[in-house]
Amino acid sequence: MVSLAEPVPLIIAPSRGYWASVGQRLLRDKVTMVCVVILLTIILAAIFAPYLGLADPYRGSIIRRLRPIGTPGYLLGTDEQGRDMLARLIYGGRLSLFIGLLPVFNAFVIGSLLGITAGFVGGKVNAAIMRTSDVFLAFPSVLLAVAISGALGAGILNSIVSLTIVFVPPIARIAESVTTQVRSLDFVDAARASGASSWTIIRVHILNNVLGPIFVYATSLISVSMILGAGLSFLGLGTKPPEPEWGLMLNTLRTAIYVQPWIAALPGAMIFMVSIGFNLVSDGLRSAMDVRR
Amino acid sequence: MLVYLIRRLLYVVPIALAVSVVCFSLVHIAPGDPLVSILPPDASLQLVEQMRKSYGFDQPIPVQFGIWLGKAIQGDFGTSIATSRPVSQEIYKAVGNTLMLAMAATLIGFTLGCFFGFVAGYFRDTWIDRVAVTVSILGVSVPHYWLGMVLVIVFAVLLPWLPPTGAGPGSSADWAWDWAHMQYLILPAVTMSVIPMGIVTRTVRALVGDILSQEFVDALRAKGLTDWGVFQHVVKNAAPTALTVIGLQLGYLLGGSILIETVFSWPGTGSLLNAAIFQRDLPLLQGTILVLAMFFVVLNLLVDVAQTAIDPRIRR
Amino acid sequence: MTISKNFRRALLGAAIAVALPGLVPEMAWAQGTLRIAMTAADIPRTLGQPDQGFEGNRFTGIPMYDGLTQWDLSSADKASVVIPGLATEWAVDATDKTKWTFKLRPGVKFHDGSTFNADAVVWNVEKVLNQNALHFDASQVGVTASRMPTLRTARKIDDMTVEMTTAQPDSFLPINLTNLFMASPAHWQKLFEAVPASVSDPKQRAAQAWTAFAANASGTGPFKMDRFVPRERLEVVKFPDYWDKPKVAKLDRIVMIPMPEASARTAALLSGQVDWIEAPAPDAVAQIKSRGFQISANAQPHVWPWQFSFAEGSPWLDKRVRQAANLCVDREGMKQLLAGLMEPAVGTVAPGHPWWGNPSFQIKYDPAAAKKLMAEAGYSAAKPIKVKTQTSASGSGQMMPLPMNEFIQQSLKECFFDVELDVIEWNTLFTNWRKGSKDDSARGSHAINVTYAAMDPFFAMVRFLDSKAAPPVSNNWGYFNMPEFDALVATARSTFDAGERDKALAKLHARSVEEAPFLWVAHDVGPRAMAPKVKGLVQPKSWFIDLTTVYIQ
Repeated sequence: MVSLAEPVPLIIAPSRGYWASVGQRLLRDKVTMVCVVILLTIILAAIFAPYLGLADPYRGSIIRRLRPIGTPGYLLGTDEQGRDMLARLIYGGRLSLFIGLLPVFNAFVIGSLLGITAGFVGGKVNAAIMRTSDVFLAFPSVLLAVAISGALGAGILNSIVSLTIVFVPPIARIAESVTTQVRSLDFVDAARASGASSWTIIRVHILNNVLGPIFVYATSLISVSMILGAGLSFLGLGTKPPEPEWGLMLNTLRTAIYVQPWIAALPGAMIFMVSIGFNLVSDGLRSAMDVRR
Repeated sequence: MLVYLIRRLLYVVPIALAVSVVCFSLVHIAPGDPLVSILPPDASLQLVEQMRKSYGFDQPIPVQFGIWLGKAIQGDFGTSIATSRPVSQEIYKAVGNTLMLAMAATLIGFTLGCFFGFVAGYFRDTWIDRVAVTVSILGVSVPHYWLGMVLVIVFAVLLPWLPPTGAGPGSSADWAWDWAHMQYLILPAVTMSVIPMGIVTRTVRALVGDILSQEFVDALRAKGLTDWGVFQHVVKNAAPTALTVIGLQLGYLLGGSILIETVFSWPGTGSLLNAAIFQRDLPLLQGTILVLAMFFVVLNLLVDVAQTAIDPRIRR
Repeated sequence: MTISKNFRRALLGAAIAVALPGLVPEMAWAQGTLRIAMTAADIPRTLGQPDQGFEGNRFTGIPMYDGLTQWDLSSADKASVVIPGLATEWAVDATDKTKWTFKLRPGVKFHDGSTFNADAVVWNVEKVLNQNALHFDASQVGVTASRMPTLRTARKIDDMTVEMTTAQPDSFLPINLTNLFMASPAHWQKLFEAVPASVSDPKQRAAQAWTAFAANASGTGPFKMDRFVPRERLEVVKFPDYWDKPKVAKLDRIVMIPMPEASARTAALLSGQVDWIEAPAPDAVAQIKSRGFQISANAQPHVWPWQFSFAEGSPWLDKRVRQAANLCVDREGMKQLLAGLMEPAVGTVAPGHPWWGNPSFQIKYDPAAAKKLMAEAGYSAAKPIKVKTQTSASGSGQMMPLPMNEFIQQSLKECFFDVELDVIEWNTLFTNWRKGSKDDSARGSHAINVTYAAMDPFFAMVRFLDSKAAPPVSNNWGYFNMPEFDALVATARSTFDAGERDKALAKLHARSVEEAPFLWVAHDVGPRAMAPKVKGLVQPKSWFIDLTTVYIQ
């Protein structure tokens, strides 16, 4: 699986106009903008699914099972229970995106807190936090996610908990290393010499300079989280039927690959699309924030 | 450097111990009765108690942990609840199958990744580079279990070229390196190789680009070094990092094979893990997780040591 | 962890393989070899008491072992009933109804050549019931004890006679004993002695002997174990000295492969990797047939019902309403939609079964009669009756629960029912089944949709109709409580003549159909698909099959 510890650009002492220039660079980046538009479309469609005039994603029928793509009234066909695929794919985005995004957000908050604390306080606190995260980093990510979900049992909440636990240690590690680096930089010493309190140093300097790189790193985890979250459902360790969710749909449609192979492949295509989207946006963000370029 | 190596080696001990604690407690915080796989749904309370006792689940958890760890160090992971077979025997067989698959995938991923990476690095910012970069992004973004399904649909259902699932026409115990058996390895190995391929492409591209942009390369060229000579130089400089990356990837593949093994019914550790989870077979579950995690710990150690040996400046 | 053999092979092979393309033909199989893909995720246990439900008994029980009694699997039309197996006759003691004597079949040999006798029977009873016996194996207790709940001890009278004792008078004992398979004590003893001397604890030696037995088993069945690759493959071969000469196997060898994915099984069949698959995906049936493969199916002792609640306020308290629902479902219509893979259910057992008993109320599709009953009960299109049913979206034996329930929902609408479905997760539903309709877990449901096996009278009827089986004791989820039924159950349990007992059970069944505590909908049909060269299969009305009649042409 994807390695979770990738190098992160260190942004040093951004000037006043830094964020504005990052924004401008992003707007000029066509690939990133296309991805942003696609992702926003999928996310908004998922949120406003009930107002799009779609068929009921739970309502099946034995008679119209596994209709092919393009059947009038069923644009993307029907699944193994005769439910409208288009509706289920759009509604499926709700749970899939939720399971993909929430763990990264949770881990961003928890991991940054732990990492910044470790980096700023140092000493025993640092050792305690970092050695604990080393233990969790000693597990391959998929194995850890599967083991925790397997132990807690199937369920959306359990998937989110297990993925959060998977992502906290790498984020904490990045946060710690960036904080340590920033703390030792000249401008922090200068601030300290000019009599600024610790809190001011944390707030103004460290947070400003630290959260950016962590954020960029966290965005690169979204795609991993989407794939893993849906993967847990695919194994039967996440969402339970009959909820529409891409990973679970992929699982239940596997029996149909001899009858309607392309319908069976559709939910995975959604995961793929969203995953590429987030990866490219994350790459775009990374290069836009990299001042060296 | 020696001091570093010794420190690094010693650090493995507490990590390994902590990992075993995590494995054990993960499995034991789980709700539900560990004997569910062999107890009928309408078992009487008396029967349940009697069974708990004969399996040792009536002991306090720390005692259970002590007994388990003491035996695990000697390679004895107890007996599977569902099958009554020794867990170590089951893991031994499964690890062999997963290693075979993961090594094949690593080989494919590394070869293709190096190829794409070199080409992209050499032809930086041309269309070739863009194609290679796109391939690498697709590689790291694709839900590999879905890719496996699509490959099955295309190469086993629509075009009946390759077998869809299994590890050979017989059982994995009859494995042989001939076409009749190897055709079963192709789809899962290719599916599994896309992530290492993507990551190696990325790494090698960056490395090659960096090395070529350094001034001394121009100096070498000026001295009359041929393109072949420059290529050798690049390989020599890029190889250590690329090997490090692929070493770690092997660890991730071993630990993360469950999804692919499920798609292809490959009888490895992932399938074992799957069976252990759904049958709530605790001894099998904790044994498999521990062995896979230990593989990863050791691979990490080896990679660190190798890296230090190649480049003594790295001492994190 | 030492480096495994496969790893070394992997290293070696990776190098050689690249240089060795070219086609090697598929492994050639002898003419008399049948390869079966099972639905189980693992090979059911092979040591005599299989797990994995009835599929286990079907493939690693009955082919390799025999019980004292067995199911008659010879007819596709007649009901499958219990017949003599390794016991030739049995009788309950005239005065003490907890004592039974079983006369054993002479001249029966185990696969290892040892003789089957009374000692072997006692040994096999004690393997699961006597905790002090050296060979007692806790791991076999769970699957066995619940299927013969009243058996307590066995005692040898002479070489060919055994006495068994039950906890209470129980005429169902001979039926229960189909689940106790006879493993060879002599063979086990040999394996026990072969355990390395370094293992000194006798209990541990016994456990290791059982593990060895599972890999190298010995029973009396028509097939004997030949090769066992855990989790991947079991091969059994013909046992030419089988005691029942007409049933000596026609096949030379059967290979059994666990394949839990329906799509993987279908692929394996179509590509010729196996000759026979259990439970093809219904959606693939048309394709399987069009490629020249055969589908075999027959009604199983399995029921897909709605079990009604008799708790206060339940709309099903009125018998007319219960009967109306049973008359209002178009079961034939449902069968067509399920590609023929179901059999309409008009009771727990089908007409013709010894327990059928000619109920005066006949279940069929008659919406006019149903509407009339509903009108009498005071309901109409303007004043429909509200009912809520708990079900799951999937689950073992549940067939296609959502579409089937929606079909019922639409059918019943015609007869003034307003059905609400409460879809929950399968394991939760199964747990709720034991908690009862008055429990919060029912969430106000008036019926529960859990399928059940109906082979043995206790599992088929007693646990639903006896007021003593109300939660938490057993599965009388709806608190069905009529003294008349308690009396009928007691009579059946204490009627020891097999024919009379079946008559008592038939009375119980007929009365249950008349009272209609269930909406009976469907029987599963145990579909299996096989290559055209597989011949001779008779699929009985049972969970099991007789593999000795099968041959390859």
